[in-house]
Amino acid sequence: MSASREYLLNVQSVAKAFGGNQVLRDVSFNVQRGEIVGLLGPNGSGKSTLLNCITGFEAVDGGAIALGARRIERLQAHRIVRHGIARTFQLPSMPTKMSVIEVAMAACTRQHGVFATLLGLPALRRAEEQARTKAERLIDELLLSPVRDLPASALSGGQKKLLGIVCALMGEPELVLLDEPTAGVHPNLRRDLVEALKRLNAQGMTLVIVEHDMHFIRDVCSRCVVLDRGEIVASCRPDKLASNARVIQAYLGGRHSPQALEENAP
Amino acid sequence: MFDFLVSALTFASLYGLMALGLNLQAGYGGLLNFGHIAFAGLGAYATGIAVQAGYSPWLGMAVGVLLAMGLGGCVARLGRKLASDYWGIATLAIAEILRVVATNEGWLTGGAQGIGAIPTLFDGVGFLVMMLVLLGIATLLCQRLADGRFGRALRLMREEPQLAACMGYDLISLKSRAIMASAALTAIAGSLYAHFMSYVGPDYLLASETFLLWTMLMIGGLGNLRGVLLGVLLVQAAYSLVPFAKDYLGFDSDLAGALRLGLIGAILLACLMWRSEGLIPEKVRKIA
Amino acid sequence: MLQFLIDTLLRATDLALIAFGLSLVYGLVKFPNIAHVQYAMLGAYLTYGLDAAGVPLPLALLFAALLVGALTLVLQRLVFQRLLKSGPAIAMIGSLAIAMLLVAALQGSAGTFPRMFELPLKAPILLGDARITHTQLYFFATTLILLAAFTVALFHTRLGRAMRALAGNPALANASGLHAARITLMVTFASGAIAGLGGGLLALSTGAHINLGHDLLLPVFAAAILGGLGNPMGAVAGALLIAFTETLVTNLNFGWLVGREMAFLPVSYISGAAFLILLLALLFKPYGLFDREVRRV
Repeated sequence: MSASREYLLNVQSVAKAFGGNQVLRDVSFNVQRGEIVGLLGPNGSGKSTLLNCITGFEAVDGGAIALGARRIERLQAHRIVRHGIARTFQLPSMPTKMSVIEVAMAACTRQHGVFATLLGLPALRRAEEQARTKAERLIDELLLSPVRDLPASALSGGQKKLLGIVCALMGEPELVLLDEPTAGVHPNLRRDLVEALKRLNAQGMTLVIVEHDMHFIRDVCSRCVVLDRGEIVASCRPDKLASNARVIQAYLGGRHSPQALEENAP
Repeated sequence: MFDFLVSALTFASLYGLMALGLNLQAGYGGLLNFGHIAFAGLGAYATGIAVQAGYSPWLGMAVGVLLAMGLGGCVARLGRKLASDYWGIATLAIAEILRVVATNEGWLTGGAQGIGAIPTLFDGVGFLVMMLVLLGIATLLCQRLADGRFGRALRLMREEPQLAACMGYDLISLKSRAIMASAALTAIAGSLYAHFMSYVGPDYLLASETFLLWTMLMIGGLGNLRGVLLGVLLVQAAYSLVPFAKDYLGFDSDLAGALRLGLIGAILLACLMWRSEGLIPEKVRKIA
Repeated sequence: MLQFLIDTLLRATDLALIAFGLSLVYGLVKFPNIAHVQYAMLGAYLTYGLDAAGVPLPLALLFAALLVGALTLVLQRLVFQRLLKSGPAIAMIGSLAIAMLLVAALQGSAGTFPRMFELPLKAPILLGDARITHTQLYFFATTLILLAAFTVALFHTRLGRAMRALAGNPALANASGLHAARITLMVTFASGAIAGLGGGLLALSTGAHINLGHDLLLPVFAAAILGGLGNPMGAVAGALLIAFTETLVTNLNFGWLVGREMAFLPVSYISGAAFLILLLALLFKPYGLFDREVRRV
């Protein structure tokens, strides 16, 4: 496989099985720099597994994944993060003994050695200042300022997701993978989230978003990739999804012929 | 009476250093090290062997620290897939192996007799003053570590390892560094213990010593420096009161020993049942 | 050769019952109970006490076992069930506290001097070059019978099947009508009683002494882990392996290695062997040699 510089993320024939269950069959898709790609699919299609494989939380059985020119499918999660991919979790769990701001500051991973901390050199102190400022800015942007000093575990589910996004963004990644960012989030907040994501994209961040909310997809994504039972079955613009027979088949269960679906399409 | 107090406080500060070390691993890192005393033992024996061979005791301490850090690094890497409580048993096994080696390799360690005639550096009050100064410095350094970047990374790893990995932290490396820092501090304490007692023997490596340190941590409060020091004082007080009770009420030494152990066990159990965070629980830190 | 076999089997019997009990209950409580070996020690002291009070030995063993089982039940109900809510690590430290309390109680009431049983003195039985005392034979035979009985109970009774189902998949077992809490308590009782029995039998040879529990801790855990926690038969196999290695290590003549006629490892390295095996087991095969269920290590 030739790692191409045009694509920021290139997933090629990835396969993953758990026990006897082949969750991912032959998944291939790519993401160009600057895109916002939606990753859709019915429950059980393998979306979370795919995300885990890309970010190194699961090992692939076969296939290749490349970030730019670099092959990453065999790397450990923390290395992949350092190369510029960040992710969020669907149901984030947050520490009980750390405040929201502290968790966000923890996402600055430079100079976290024992000696650096002990010596407390001016460089480190400046870095801490910068980390705090940056964390506060992101917390503000994602409307978490009111809960800045609360223990992170005391946040609501939706707020924890936002904190997860803050943490993902602290590392200034090139590519962010979001796992159902709007589920459980208040509708007003959802609008602000859409705006925030669009802003980040305008600043050069590439996004891949796993989502079920079609409105959100239509508002934000430039392209959609649909996963069904471990395979990519469609890759098109959001407005073309409803008329894509294969997509409808995936969601409704494949007992309908494409013609019948066409006739019944909204 | 005065001498007794000085001695008791010196023991308390020696254990205090070791407890601060364990707190780095267990309190901040969430690592259940049940063989922690091995680090102290390495420090103590390195000092003893160096002195016996005619070298400077400071060389002995330095070697002890290096050995302890080496062991710490190994221990961190082993059992990447082991759950925390089983890793605890593995560390216990390592400490016991060291104890068995120390008991048997008489040519190196003096066997069951140990090594004596280690210089005491200072006498009575002088030693205590040195210990208190060291304890103060160690507490300040630990505070800095805990509140700073390294501590933050550790504490995050302790509670949410997946989130920490997600941020780009190499968990094994973090654990490794925490254990090595802890090992260094504890080895120094072990070395000083050998100086204080003017002796080192395989009894220093008994598992009950690690359990004592754990009791100090759990009672006082894991992950909270003031809690750790409080725990040390309380346990040391309980330990010291028993001989008084023994003389006053006329126990025999078996009963006295039983009373000590029982008191510690009862306090530990009470804390676990009703205040599992310790008397001074760890609080969420304020960032201005 | 025969002596080697006898030594191995005897050492295995020291460990077998107690390791069996540990593995049995682990499937249900899922944390390493450090106090388990102290249950054995308690059994030893209780057996001694009853025997010294004139109770016939087999009954003394039985009653002691039942008492220990009852205590185990009480501890599980009052202490460990509560601590487990905070996680297995807290439960393990709690078991440490319980272990301390048990040792303290026994030391306070019985002192540190080992209590030897007054057994009729008989000449050891000679089998060729090998010797075995009557006590040891009694111990071995009793253990064998008990293990056979428990195995039958585990695999051929409803309770045994229910217990194994519960260990494998608690939620499912509960949903299918098995009363999880009750079974857990019954198994807890059984594991404590078996440990107490093992301790009592062990004390026939070594006497009841205050370090009995602690000396057993790592070998018993090694045996249980080698056999796979939750696999009681495996624990017995693990005990055999540990016993074999210990006997081997101290009987091997290393003379050829150091250029002398005879060179043996010191006897106290026996315990080192068990610790080393435990370490290797945890490193390379945390799920046991037989790699069966009950994963959580």
